[in-house]
Amino acid sequence: MKRLIPAATLVLLIFGSVLVLQLMKCNYAFQDRDLIMAPPTMQHWTGTDELGRDRTVRVAVALLLGLAGAITAAAISTVIAACIGLLAAFSPRPVASILNFVSDAFLSLPWIFLLMMVRSLLPLTASPADTAATTFLLLAALGWPACARAIYRNAMVLRSAGWMIQGYASGLKLGQLVSLHVVPHLRTLLLPQFLICVPAFIVAEANLGALGLGVGEPVPSWGAMLLELDNSALLAQSHWIYLPIALLIVVLLILESFTKEIAKDV
Amino acid sequence: MSFSTTIARRFGRTMLLLLFAATGTILLVRFAPGFLSDSREMDAKYAQAARVEIQEESTRDQSLCLIATHEVKSWLKGDLGMSREYNVPVAELLSGRMRVSATLLVQGILSGWLIAVCTALPISCLRRGGSLCSLPFTLLLATPTAAMATASILFEAGGPVLVLSLFIAAREFKFVRSLLIGAWCSPHLLAGRAVGLRPWALVRTHILPDIAPQLCALMTLSIVTALEALVPIEVILTVPGVGQLAWSAVMNRDLQVMVAVSVLMACIVGIAGMLSAHTAALEAA
Repeated sequence: MKRLIPAATLVLLIFGSVLVLQLMKCNYAFQDRDLIMAPPTMQHWTGTDELGRDRTVRVAVALLLGLAGAITAAAISTVIAACIGLLAAFSPRPVASILNFVSDAFLSLPWIFLLMMVRSLLPLTASPADTAATTFLLLAALGWPACARAIYRNAMVLRSAGWMIQGYASGLKLGQLVSLHVVPHLRTLLLPQFLICVPAFIVAEANLGALGLGVGEPVPSWGAMLLELDNSALLAQSHWIYLPIALLIVVLLILESFTKEIAKDV
Repeated sequence: MSFSTTIARRFGRTMLLLLFAATGTILLVRFAPGFLSDSREMDAKYAQAARVEIQEESTRDQSLCLIATHEVKSWLKGDLGMSREYNVPVAELLSGRMRVSATLLVQGILSGWLIAVCTALPISCLRRGGSLCSLPFTLLLATPTAAMATASILFEAGGPVLVLSLFIAAREFKFVRSLLIGAWCSPHLLAGRAVGLRPWALVRTHILPDIAPQLCALMTLSIVTALEALVPIEVILTVPGVGQLAWSAVMNRDLQVMVAVSVLMACIVGIAGMLSAHTAALEAA
């Protein structure tokens, strides 16, 4: 029951965002030059931004894009982690040592530095859709080491389990053993790892965006919306500027609470 | 394994990490779009033939081997190379900024830990309502560092040290609380409470000495956590530290500065890893 509340709230938020996009006919990039920083009206429920774009639509798109991107990146990251962790656990010692060193090196270097460096080295002329895809793919590509280490440790325990030895003795191949027995055993570890990655990736995107290295304009993202808060002149004009950050914190709290409940159950 | 072998292994691992960081940065920057461009190519006073020559020259001088040799030479010389953006030796750029960042890190980590320990101690004693009392830390954990830094500017309250302290406190609070809850449940403390010893006496004479090694190990690992927050904090709050320099180097593809900052970060992480020998503390938490 406890995990149903955050899950239901999240579903409601997603449903609400989709509904907003259906009801509000304007595009997230559409600029109404006559309505710059307009107050809330029937046409623009939470007003417009400094370029005359509808804030409600932009927040709804940022929420959906952030969630979709983070979930996809978390899924890719978990798959990479599972592959590397299992490869390290079931390969000869030298290969395992190299894989562990690489994951340790990635794990020990500060995340934000790695992300910042790799993200900034991409072409400056990329389209907004490309920057969004690249940002989340980068998060996926750099977010696997912690999960890989956990999978490696668990797979090492499973490797010496009685049923594994029985499987070997019965003539099962390593691939069969891993796919049919080891991966299902690791499911209880993979699910929380995946769920932990989702809020972490949303926060990382927001931090990158605030540094000007996230999703490119005009596509709305949490990070780009945080940049709006830097302009104190705009803040004096409307309190609705705080809506994206408030919603972001709510989403992150829901995700953390959901992860906690799932982790307790598994 | 003997003490000297352990030290040698950890040192070797740190050296490998440094090499990995330096090589990785050189590779990334070398193949980044725009790295080989020269500002003179945009200058109209150069004829087309001269521009082609400049382009060929920059391409010829930027082979991976040449970059690596140049890097090693400048590191041996001690100036860490010339910054492409500022046109001054990187060592000169780093020295002043390192002091600023180190002061910020030390103050932030110490105050963050103080906040975490001082709040976790009373909360860990509570029989009920612990989760409710931990709510501010949960809220802080869900707030991106950039948002915290922006809030600090908006409300004209605190500053980089407070933002970093809150960032550290939010992340370490749950570990400290788990350690303390575990410590309160140990049999000798239960016996102490049963015979009527005051909680403060128990904390002073038993709990703090018991968990001190684990706290120290966790504190060294906080360095790595703090480094993650350094860039957004320094950039948004305009602190002239290493994080801000790294951000500016990244934006301007300043290879020398990027390599120096990467190696510096890897060095700090390596030393922090060597210091935190008791990594089991993390597992216990």
